Amino acid sequence: MKKKLLIYGAGAIGRGYIPWVFSPDNYDYYYVDVDKSLCTLLNKNKKFSTYKIVDGKYEAREISFEKCYLLNEEIKESLNVDAIITAVGPRNIPLIVDNLKKFSVPIICFENDSSSPDLIISLTGNQKVFFAIPDVIASNTAPEELRDKDPLSLVTENGVCYIDEKAKELGGDCLYIDKEELEKQWMAKLYIHNTPHCIAAYVGSLLGVNYLHESMQNAESEKIVGGAMLEMASVLLKKFNLEKEFVDWYAKKELQRFKNVLLFDPISRVAREPFRKLALNERLIGSAQLCISCGILPENIMLGIMAAFCYDNPSDPDANIKYLMASLKPGDFLKIAMRLRAGEALYELLLSKWDYNLNKLNNLK
Amino acid sequence: MNEMDNILKIAISAAVEGGTILLEHASDFKKASQKESLRDIVTEIDRYSEKKIIDILKTCDPNIPVLSEETKIVLPDNCKSYWIVDPLDGTVNYVNGIPFYAVSVAFMENDKLSVGVVYNPLANDLYYGSRKSGVYKNQAKIKVKDTNPEECLFAAAFSGKNYNPATRKEEFLAFQEINDSCRGCLRTGSAAINLAYVAEGRLGGCWGKANKIWDIAGGILLAELAGAVVKYEIVDKEKNLVDYVATGSLAYKFLGSKIKVL
Repeated sequence: MKKKLLIYGAGAIGRGYIPWVFSPDNYDYYYVDVDKSLCTLLNKNKKFSTYKIVDGKYEAREISFEKCYLLNEEIKESLNVDAIITAVGPRNIPLIVDNLKKFSVPIICFENDSSSPDLIISLTGNQKVFFAIPDVIASNTAPEELRDKDPLSLVTENGVCYIDEKAKELGGDCLYIDKEELEKQWMAKLYIHNTPHCIAAYVGSLLGVNYLHESMQNAESEKIVGGAMLEMASVLLKKFNLEKEFVDWYAKKELQRFKNVLLFDPISRVAREPFRKLALNERLIGSAQLCISCGILPENIMLGIMAAFCYDNPSDPDANIKYLMASLKPGDFLKIAMRLRAGEALYELLLSKWDYNLNKLNNLK
Repeated sequence: MNEMDNILKIAISAAVEGGTILLEHASDFKKASQKESLRDIVTEIDRYSEKKIIDILKTCDPNIPVLSEETKIVLPDNCKSYWIVDPLDGTVNYVNGIPFYAVSVAFMENDKLSVGVVYNPLANDLYYGSRKSGVYKNQAKIKVKDTNPEECLFAAAFSGKNYNPATRKEEFLAFQEINDSCRGCLRTGSAAINLAYVAEGRLGGCWGKANKIWDIAGGILLAELAGAVVKYEIVDKEKNLVDYVATGSLAYKFLGSKIKVL
C-alpha cells in the first residue's frame, strides 16, 4: 500500500526533487501552496513533469498527484497522511504552523536552515520533526523546450538526500544518517554550497543574466565564486576540522553544479530574500565573520556581500534593500540595514573596500 | 527609480542625516549648567539638524515648502504638497540623556500623507514607508499587532500644560483609566516613536491630544500603512495641533471610548 505524503511547497524541491526521493510507485502526493494560480493550474492538469539530469541528459518522470491545496484550505486527508514534508523556505514556516498543528505525523523539514525543525517543534508541539538536507540544486522552472511540452515542468540535478536517521521508517531513495554525519553535511552545504551559490546569483543579477550557469560563464564571476568557495573551504578545515579530502571533493563538485547548463536555475530564485541571506549568522555576513575569526580575509565573500547589497528586483520580498542602498551613506547602511557595529572588523573592512568593490562589480557589466 | 521611490529615498536620507547630527551633539548638554543655556543648546542643535534635513529635502524640488517648528512658514491655502519635518521629537528625553527621541519626516502629496520616516538614531531604528512601497523597520516589513485591549500596552502624548489647562484633568483621568484597564499606558515623550511602535506591533495603540503636526505626520502614515485604525483631527489650524488615535482594530473601540476623540 502506498504511503501518503502531504508536501508543503509545490516549488523546486517539493515537485522537482521530492518525487525522485519518494517514488510515485510507493507514495501518493498531496501538495499545499500559497500560489493560487499555481494551485489552479496543478489541479487542472493533475500532473506535472520533473526532469532529472543524469550524465548530461534529462531523465523524465511524469508525476500524477491527488490534489494541490491552497494554504488554509481545509485538507480532507488530514487524518490519513503518513508524513509531512516542508519545502517552503525558512521564512515562511510561521505561515504554515497553524496548518501543521492539525497533524501528529512525522514532519520532514527540507528547509535550508538547520534551526527549522526546532522552530516547528516549538511552534507546533510535535516532537517528530526531522531535518533533511537535499544535496541538490533543483530549479523551479525548465528550459523552453521542456515547458513547451508541459508548462509545469521542472528540472533537478541527480542529487543525494540526507535525512535524520530517526525518520527512517518513511523509506525512500535517500540516506538516513546520524546526527554527527548530518552536522558534517550541513556544514558543507551551508558554507561551501550556500555561500558561493548565492554569490553567483547576486553577481549574475548585476551582469543582467537570468540563470545561474550564465553567471558562471563570465570569467570574473567564476573567479569571485570560486574564490569565495576557497575561503569557505579554508574555514571548514580550520574551524570545524572537516577532512580535507571531503572538503576538496565537495568544493569541486559544487563548482561543476553551478555551471550545469542543463539546470536553468533562475537567479531570482537563488538570490531571493537578500536580507535573509545577509543576516548576521547567515551565509554572507555570517560566513565573512567566520573567515575573519579564522584569520582569513574574505575578499571574494565581501564582493558577494556588495553584490547582494546591490540586488534590485522589484518583485522580491526584500525589494526595500534598494531604498536603503540608495538613501544611506555606506556606514549608515551597514549600521541600520545590516546591524553591524561601527568599529567591528567586518564593518571596517566593508567600508574600506566599499568604493573599490562597487567599481569592480560595476565593471563586470 | 520613479518619483515616489525618489521621495522616499530622500526622506530616508534626510531623517538619517538629521539623526546623525543629534547623535553627534548629544553630549553637548554636559557643558551646560543652567536651564537657560540648556534650552539654547537644544534650540541650536534643533536648527542645525533641521537645516541639514531641509537642505537634503530641497534636492528633490527646491519649490516644495517645508512645514516645521523652526521654519514657522504659513502654508498658502492652495498648497497641497509639502514636507512636514520634526528634527527632534522627544526633546525632553534628548536633553536628559534618555535614549528615546527621533527625527520625523513626512511628505504630504495633494493633501494626503504619502511618505513617512521616523528614525531613532540611538537605537538605529529606521521606520519608513510609502503608499507604494509598504512599511518597514530597517530590513523587515512591519504590521500592526491586533490584540484585545486588555492585553495591549498603550502610549499617550498630551498637550503641553500651557495649551488648554481646562482639559488637563480630563486627559489625566483618561490616562489613568486606560492605564488601569490594560497592560499599562506610557508617556514616552516621543509621539513619533509611539506611532512607529504601533506600526511595528510593540504597542497596541497610542493617542495624543493637541500634538504638533510635525511630531506625528510621519508616524501617522506608518501606522496607517501597517494596518492600524488611524483617526486624526486638526484641532487648531493656526498652531498646527492635532488630536489622534492609532490602534489595532480590536483595541480601537476601547481606546476611542476612553479618550472621547473623533
